[in-house]
Amino acid sequence: MNIHKYEKAWLVAAMVLIVGFIATITYGAVGPGIAMIDDDAGSIDPNEISDHERFGETGVEHLGGNEYEVDVVAQAWSYSPSEIEVPAGSEVTFYVTSRDVTHSFTVVGTNVNTMVVPGQISEMTVKFDEPGEYGILCNEYCGQGHHTMEGLLTVVPEDEFDLTELSTDAPREVEAGNETTINATVNNGMQDGLETTATLEIGEQQYERDVTIDGEGSAELTFDVDTDALGAGEHDWTLTVDDHEESGTLSVVSETDGGDTNE
Amino acid sequence: MEVTRMSSTASRTYLDQFPAEAKVIKAAFWSSFMALAIGGLLGLVQALHRTDVLRFIDSADYYTVLTAHGILLAITFTIFFLVGIFTWAVTTSLDRGVVDIRFTWAWYIMMVVGTILVGVSILGGVVDAIPMYADVLFTFYAPLQAHPAFYVGLVLFVVGSWLAGADWFRTWWAWRKENPDERIPLPTFMALTTTLFWYLCTLGVALSILVFLLPWSLGIVDSVNPLLTRTLFWYFGHAVVYFWLMPAYMMWYIMLPKLSGGKLFSDPLARVVFVLFLLLSTPVGIHHQYLDPGIAEGYKFIAMTNTMFLLLPSLLTAFTVVASMEHGARQRGGTGYLGWLKALPWRDPVFTGMALAGLMFAAAGFSGMINAGMNINYLVHNSWWVVGHFHLTVGTAVALTFMAAAYWFIPQVTGKELWSRQLALGQVLVWFVGMTFMSNAMHRAGLFGMPRRTAEPQYQGFNFDPAVGTVGEINAQVALGAVLLTVALAMFLLNMVLTSFNDDSDSLPANTYAGTLSGPEDSPAVLDNLKLWTAIAVVLVIVGYTLPLASIVESGGLFGPDIGGFQLAIETDPALVLESVREVMP
Amino acid sequence: MRISKGALLVVIAVLIPFVVEFRTALSWFGIELSVLESLVLGGAAILAVVLWAVWPPNGNAEAELSGSR
Repeated sequence: MNIHKYEKAWLVAAMVLIVGFIATITYGAVGPGIAMIDDDAGSIDPNEISDHERFGETGVEHLGGNEYEVDVVAQAWSYSPSEIEVPAGSEVTFYVTSRDVTHSFTVVGTNVNTMVVPGQISEMTVKFDEPGEYGILCNEYCGQGHHTMEGLLTVVPEDEFDLTELSTDAPREVEAGNETTINATVNNGMQDGLETTATLEIGEQQYERDVTIDGEGSAELTFDVDTDALGAGEHDWTLTVDDHEESGTLSVVSETDGGDTNE
Repeated sequence: MEVTRMSSTASRTYLDQFPAEAKVIKAAFWSSFMALAIGGLLGLVQALHRTDVLRFIDSADYYTVLTAHGILLAITFTIFFLVGIFTWAVTTSLDRGVVDIRFTWAWYIMMVVGTILVGVSILGGVVDAIPMYADVLFTFYAPLQAHPAFYVGLVLFVVGSWLAGADWFRTWWAWRKENPDERIPLPTFMALTTTLFWYLCTLGVALSILVFLLPWSLGIVDSVNPLLTRTLFWYFGHAVVYFWLMPAYMMWYIMLPKLSGGKLFSDPLARVVFVLFLLLSTPVGIHHQYLDPGIAEGYKFIAMTNTMFLLLPSLLTAFTVVASMEHGARQRGGTGYLGWLKALPWRDPVFTGMALAGLMFAAAGFSGMINAGMNINYLVHNSWWVVGHFHLTVGTAVALTFMAAAYWFIPQVTGKELWSRQLALGQVLVWFVGMTFMSNAMHRAGLFGMPRRTAEPQYQGFNFDPAVGTVGEINAQVALGAVLLTVALAMFLLNMVLTSFNDDSDSLPANTYAGTLSGPEDSPAVLDNLKLWTAIAVVLVIVGYTLPLASIVESGGLFGPDIGGFQLAIETDPALVLESVREVMP
Repeated sequence: MRISKGALLVVIAVLIPFVVEFRTALSWFGIELSVLESLVLGGAAILAVVLWAVWPPNGNAEAELSGSR
């Protein structure tokens, strides 16, 4: 075959270019370690997502150290959860699956971008160095409301992040003179132990408790409230643990006004 | 030495040589133009809607419009034009008509019927009187489910194109009996190799539709494996882009050198290029699935490597086409390192259109290399960047070449002179400028994360952050580009319509194509061994696809875990909408 | 005319992608042009090309300007 010498030179240059491209991509995979979405996370029956060990409860989970897992279910036309908060400097592994049609889970302006195919689980691990806010959007057409499918990822400074959950159980109304309690449950979602203080403010009164909870543990707190000191009337209360706050109102009624209590 | 048929057909148009075939080709061209007219106009509606410049349709209907735009332009416009060009190429270069013109009409009609079925089912998305739904876009990913008529229409269209390929093969076999010792003429060689990889790649989509999607939409089976049908779609989905591109390449190889006033630089290299496309077009489809779960990284790496090697035939084409143009320019008296460019026939819309299309294809090649880069694909996957990319490839390299070619072909198959060459020249330039604005802005928008396929890329909870300029400027640039493209489209159609009202002309150029500087006698005979190349292509496909398909079937089952069809319209399930509204609220 | 009218039109068309991308390229060097400035710059570039094209060539100037020998 008769090939012109310029054409031979061009052919060689083209091959060098092609091999060069393959080399840069290989470098990206083994050097900085950019892994592709693959089949590691396995498959799933979309009808059984709610019972799935991973997706039964979605959201952020602490794995230990600076490692976190975020489980997300995509569906027309939202993500569950739609707002995700992770600490800066963390290594986060996302697991995403779809309840209905094909979606994507795309964090705008980052490399976090995966197709979410029903029946499959997408897994990707990302490092977030700096605090910031990122939009999450679906970039695969998923029906007429596709353009409304969005979420928000917030990377907060490390010292502002916890996985503490606070819930309270308190009576709404109590007769004056009776003993009453405001109960709180503090859940520590982190693997590390939590040492903090719980504060209850009610009327002019203030109660404090030191709280120590093991990793993945919870603590029950009981605050005995002196209703005599409060006197009759409506009393707003606030229970604070770190940045978490629960509040309510306690009505103290005198025995003589009574009538509709505890029915 | 000369392979052109100048002596035997001096100053005879195609219509004079093959009046019966000319009629089919004319019909195919007009089918193509109608798809272009409707699809193009819908493109303007989308561009204005997305950018929030002008919204006169409901955002829910945007996706019906988008489905029609994608199918009409990517499938109907391109493939109808292609079957016209290939029929011309085979008959002209073999210097014989098709074996049976009734067969030719049969496949054309089959393709028309398929198109109508698909078109009507898509129209059902906006016309209440048609109880059909096919808002599934060009990719029809399950479990989005279309009306069975949509899938049946696609099958008819594709089978029609298979029969067209059979027609070209029959014609070649008949010629082969008459000319047992001759090399396959280059245009026929190009048509046949392209047909072979079309057969190979469409097997995937045929399997996907006939075995899985159609029975599922008819309720015969009640579940699909979405990853499997998706992978089968992309098994076809990348090769189809080469199916559109090959007729454009053919034009650049056998028309552009002639229009430049010279000859094709090398016939053997042209054959090598088409053989490489036959070998590599199909086992690359997984590069559209770099970000899919359920496919191991190794298979993605193999697809990436194959894709990168697919650059080779395109880079070789760039050399050959530019070298042929330079040869032509020097025959016309051009001199100097770059001064020869001035000697090219820039007033000829056919030449200028094809040359500008080639230039834009070079730019498209670069954005394509980014797409193909497996890990950098994270940044651009399914963003507007991709839309910018394929508006340079299919939307310009192919569409502009076809429109420019039509300025030569329509007179050839109708015997009428082009209505206005000035308008035609203006048209190709306006298209080029319009696409520059639109595609550039789309690429840039993709880099800051703006998604494709979205009616309202304006979100409640966050804003996009462009590196340069503002989102508003990007949108304005897209809208401006889209308007210019629509103007160019109108100029093209006007010229075509008025040409068909022209009187018959006898001063038309003869039906010829370019000769070669280095002819087929310089190329080893093995290049013409289509059986060998087909066998290697099949082996490459088996190597590239067996393991990924097996692992998809193994993990998700052949028919998936009870995944039924979804037709997610806003009004069908108000509870669903309420639920999604609640989820999004903070 | 140094080049044909058809070629002039093509040169102007091909200039446009360069004008459009010039703005992005400049931002790499910290120079941010507004849209208006880009338009003015593009207009000036096109004007320069048109002037060059229609200016009557004198002697060997044409060969030099077109970059050929």
